[in-house]
Order: sequence, then structure tokens, then C-alpha cells
Amino acid sequence: MNNQPNLIDLFKENDKRTIQKFYNEHKNGFILFAKRYKITNDDIVDIYQEAIIALIENAKKGKIDSLQSSLSTYFFSIGKFMIFQKLKKEKSKFSLKDFSNLEYIDENYTEENFNNQVALLQLGLQKMGEKCRKILEFFYYQEKKMDEIKELLGYDSKDVLKSQKSRCLKQLKDSIKEN
Amino acid sequence: MDTKTLLEKYFDGSLSKDEKIDFERLLAEDSSFRDEFEFEKNVKTAITINERNDLKKMLQSFETTKKPKKSFYLIYAAASIVFFIGLFTWMNFSATNYDTLFNEYYQTYPNTVSPTVRGTTSTDLKSNAFYAYDSGNYEEAIALFSEIYSKNGDDFALFYKGISLIELQKYDEALAVLQKNNSLKNSTFEPYFLWYTALIHIKLQNKNEATLNLKLLIESENPLKKAAKKLLSEIE
Repeated sequence: MNNQPNLIDLFKENDKRTIQKFYNEHKNGFILFAKRYKITNDDIVDIYQEAIIALIENAKKGKIDSLQSSLSTYFFSIGKFMIFQKLKKEKSKFSLKDFSNLEYIDENYTEENFNNQVALLQLGLQKMGEKCRKILEFFYYQEKKMDEIKELLGYDSKDVLKSQKSRCLKQLKDSIKEN
Repeated sequence: MDTKTLLEKYFDGSLSKDEKIDFERLLAEDSSFRDEFEFEKNVKTAITINERNDLKKMLQSFETTKKPKKSFYLIYAAASIVFFIGLFTWMNFSATNYDTLFNEYYQTYPNTVSPTVRGTTSTDLKSNAFYAYDSGNYEEAIALFSEIYSKNGDDFALFYKGISLIELQKYDEALAVLQKNNSLKNSTFEPYFLWYTALIHIKLQNKNEATLNLKLLIESENPLKKAAKKLLSEIE
């Protein structure tokens, strides 16, 4: 487990080779596990990918920087949680005992807050310059503090960064008004 | 505190108790504050969806690159080469290569019972056992799983003890452990007991016992039916 922090760092950087390696190494084990339940193969792959996304997202948010267990075990607890949600959603029969010690709970992984403005913002964000996109991504997605972003992006002062962020938000607001 | 700082603190999760009260009050009373909050929340959702979509695309590309579409001609050519190599090896050894089959089909069963997540430093027996298992510390895992099994008779303890023994290449002992499963009908692990028992028999070149276990697996509906059929066809 010595190289685990390194793996988490590579996840944070979205390193494709690392992600692919992890993906391939855990897939068979996950499928073997998920097949205990009545889920179709396509759904299993779909759930598997969602679980990988949640894992990388949590790495980026710094939530697993001090993980006690191995990354594989943590990953399986996410996967298990997602299978549980799927079974609940489809009202399938399953033994509650199997899920008695679920420890991974994600606040709002589902995208229920979707609305028209969100759709427009998705497009607006894609058209934005790299500079603004990075600031907004660090702040809203990776949930970093402004002080940390200031260091990461090399701003001289927090105030400069703050007013830059305000300009980025204004630019986004204007871009969705045009539509 | 100005409204901008309040919003910033909301999104980086550092609002104090008093600030939270201010925040809620503004949300209820000040419509322009509410609009700004809703807008920023939507920005957060939009970025999140974009990021997830990008990642999803990357993961889906792993699925397609794993099965490259080659022309049929190439596949036939490759297949015939494989066939001749196969024929050659068959004539040389004229026996199933049990070691290869074992290596091909065997994989460590993941810990699906007791995950430990950040912050939990629980020290109960079960967590310790799985911690050892996950860390590849199989000697210790075996001792702890044995203790759990003798205390509570849990099927998972027996199962993971068996897998740990396989990991240490103690196949005869693993076999003895996994075969204790007789009294554990209806356990969700049951097909997995049979599957790993069959794999050990393959490793030990006990063709008849391996066949018997695989046939038992094929008889009932279970997740390993297909894999068992395939493996059986390879040893028969």
C-alpha cells in the first residue's frame, strides 16, 4: 500500500494511463461480485463506470487523502453502495443483510438538480477560456479554498483572484443571456 | 460580512454556526442574494455534469479499445496459427495444462464484506481480518478469519480463509477449509465455494473432482454457471 498516495495524486491529475490500469485491474472482480444480484451485464458495466467516476471525483476533492483502507477496498464500498441504490430503485428482491455495513454514503451523486439554466451553463462553460474554467473547476468542482487556488494558479493576491472569479461568473451569466 | 464572502464560505464549506444563520436569513429575505446563490449552485451542477461526462467518455473508450475490430481474414489467419501451435503443444505434452488453466481462471476474490473508509479506526475482529486480507497479509488474515469462524460460524470467514490459503499456495489446506461448506446451503457464497474448490482441484490435477464440482455449479442457476461451463469444456 506504499504507493497509494501516489495513485491518488495521479487520479487527481486525471492521468489516463493510471485510470485505465485501475479500471482494467478491478473490472473482473467487480463483475464477479455484481453478478450475485439480478443485474444485466450492460448495467453492471454502467454501474462500474459510475463507481470509478465517483472514486476519481472523491480523490480530486481531497476526500480520500487520509484513507485508512486500501484503495481497492474503498472502491468496492462505492461500487457496493451503487449496486444497492440500483436494486432499491428497481425494487428488486435482495437480502438486506448483504448491505448491512455500507459505509460509503454520497451526499448528492444523482443529478436531480438539473434544469434549463444548468443545460445552458454546460454549453457556456465549454466555450470559456482555460483560465476561467480552471478557477471555476477548482472552486466549485474540486471544492478547494481560495487560498489554495491562489497558490495553484500563481496569483499574487487573493483579491486579484477573487475579482477574476467574479469576472468569470459574470461572463458566464452574460453567455446564457444571449441564448 | 459581505454577501460575496458568505457565498464563498458556503461553497468551500467553511460557514460557522452564526454565519449559517445569517446565510439562511439572507436567503429568505433578500431576493437578489437568492438569485445569486441559485446561479452559483447551477454553475456547480453544470461543471460537475461536464466533468463526469468527460470521464465517462474516457472510461467508455477503454471498453472499445479492449476489443479492437480486426478484419475476419486476420482473425482466421490468427486462429489457424493458434490452432497449429495448439496442435503442436498437444502432440508434445498430450495433456491439459492444468497450471495454465488455473492461472487463467483464478483471481483473488475482492473484499466485499467489510470496507474500511477514511476516519474509521475501528478495531473489531472483522475489520482487522479484512484489513490484513486487503493488505496481502494472508497469514494474519487466516488466523483472524479462523477466530471469527470458530466464534460465530460465519460463512464469509470460512470463505476468505480459504482464499487466503490459496494465495499462500497451501492448496490442500484450502481445500479442507472450503469443503466444510456442506452445512452452509443457501449462503450467497455457496457457488463461490464450489468455484474455488474446482479451481484448486485443477491446480492439483484432480480432474474427476474438478469435473464434479463444476457440474454441480452448472446444475443450478447462479452467476458462475457460464464460466463453469467454459472451464469444464476445457478440461474434458
